[in-house]
Amino acid sequence: MTVEALTEYGFEAICMPDPDREITGVYIGDLLSWVMGRAKSGDAWLTIMSNINIVAVASLADTSCIILAEGVTLESDVIKTAEAKDINVFSFSGSCYDAAVLLSGLL
Amino acid sequence: MKELSLNILDIAENSVKAGAKLTRITVDETEESLILTIEDDGCGMTEEILKSVTDPFYTTRTTRKVGMGIPLLKMAAEMTGGGVEITSRYKDEFPDSHGTTVTARFNKKHIDFTPLGDVTESIATLIQGHPDTDFLFTHRTGDKTVTLDTREMRAVLGDVPLNSYEVICWIKEYLKEQYS
Repeated sequence: MTVEALTEYGFEAICMPDPDREITGVYIGDLLSWVMGRAKSGDAWLTIMSNINIVAVASLADTSCIILAEGVTLESDVIKTAEAKDINVFSFSGSCYDAAVLLSGLL
Repeated sequence: MKELSLNILDIAENSVKAGAKLTRITVDETEESLILTIEDDGCGMTEEILKSVTDPFYTTRTTRKVGMGIPLLKMAAEMTGGGVEITSRYKDEFPDSHGTTVTARFNKKHIDFTPLGDVTESIATLIQGHPDTDFLFTHRTGDKTVTLDTREMRAVLGDVPLNSYEVICWIKEYLKEQYS
């Protein structure tokens, strides 16, 4: 499925500069150096971290989008950077587990 | 990073890349806090570059667009209620006293404090990768001090390269002994 389709399932788009990007898997993690080496290209990355470094990690790992669980939101300058670097970001009210279960049925 | 010792490796690599002849790595620990200082005599940075080093999209690398060394260290420190300070003197303005100092403060009591980890391994890795530059490592914990100075080793070893197998093994043993 494309990242744009996420909006139909309770994922709220914070910024979506690349709506047609295909989601090919899911990775969950908050330790950025760990995620950097392990998330695969195309993964939807579930995290609760919200500082600017997540945009860099998503860019390095080439994930299809960042999904911020537990209703986490971003500062406006982080949103601006994500937009500029072509990184899709969503917010989700449930836990990482809830989001993963939902995505498991969709992928 | 799962361990601060990996952050140390990352930051010290920047010093070597900046052409440092001597890099001083100091860890000062008390019950409550850990202060990590990495001080080099490399080329230093201009004000403008200094402002951008905490931005993960700034890097001196040419192989990729993103530099995570300082941003990850800053995040690890801030997660404990501490922080990172960087001062630098650029070689064009300070031809006789250039270099960069990175200081990171951590509150050890904070639940998100990343343990120091295997710092012996990090120091050995650094020396192995850069046998021609000098490192002064100091780790103070209470009344105990662990040190290693490659300048002293060089004086004793003469022409033996610091990255030879026996020397690296000796370094690890020497540090382990001091820690025990």
